[in-house]
Amino acid sequence: MLAFSRPFWPLFLHVLGAMTLYGAFIAAVVVAIAGHARATLSSLAIAVPAWLVTLAGALWIAHDEGLGNSNATWIGIGHLVLEPGVVILLGSIACAFWWTRSGKAVAGRVVAGLSLVYLALLTVALLAMSGKWG
Amino acid sequence: MLHVASAFCFFGGSVAAGVLNVLAVRAERPSETAFLLRLIRVVLPVVFVGVLGTFVFGIWLWHRLGFPIGAGWIWASLALWVVANALGGIGGRHQERSRELAERLAAEGDASTAELRALLRDPKGTAVSYAAGVATLAILVLMIWKP
Repeated sequence: MLAFSRPFWPLFLHVLGAMTLYGAFIAAVVVAIAGHARATLSSLAIAVPAWLVTLAGALWIAHDEGLGNSNATWIGIGHLVLEPGVVILLGSIACAFWWTRSGKAVAGRVVAGLSLVYLALLTVALLAMSGKWG
Repeated sequence: MLHVASAFCFFGGSVAAGVLNVLAVRAERPSETAFLLRLIRVVLPVVFVGVLGTFVFGIWLWHRLGFPIGAGWIWASLALWVVANALGGIGGRHQERSRELAERLAAEGDASTAELRALLRDPKGTAVSYAAGVATLAILVLMIWKP
């Protein structure tokens, strides 16, 4: 385990977290559009630890490989989507909580919209990072 | 890029299906269970795109990047890919049986029964779904580790 721990673990955690985050948002979009408030909140709750693991992996890789000051486009897109994305994530959770409490349809539409936007941003980020754009 | 995007569809779609399944098992009323299990069908095309894409683009990359034909980690990944899909299919059939019973109960007064609870929490069905998840995770380990 220790023999491959340095290069393996940061990338593994980053990718595992990102894939789980992606899956949690797919589930959130589906249940939000279908109109199930409680299931939307539960799906988004799973996205929080996934987001943290993704960020931790990214910071670990950046530290180990000296990418902190990199100007590469793909790294910039990754940072732009992941870090400010927490605002969309927390906003979605807040709206989903409001939806479960109030039952208002507008809250459901806001959650579905925010989740769909973040899912689209995650798709752009995963394409940029895997394709090493720029 | 296309191989990784497909892997995100495969893994992410599986996570979404797993989340919906867990929420369905925890639902109080059969109508809610049936509703959430039906939504898994919406996610399945994402999983299928991922399953097909990881295989096709994976084989293409194998050739393009010049990995040897005897690369054990690639063969192990392919074996796990087959295992994950087979177990996912078996788990899916179990979910379909649960959904059919939940829909029947929803139409007959929407009260849960011991039969539905037993079917949803069936240890074999649960174990098969978890094993499919472990196989998928093992593929990810091999793809990143490349031993």
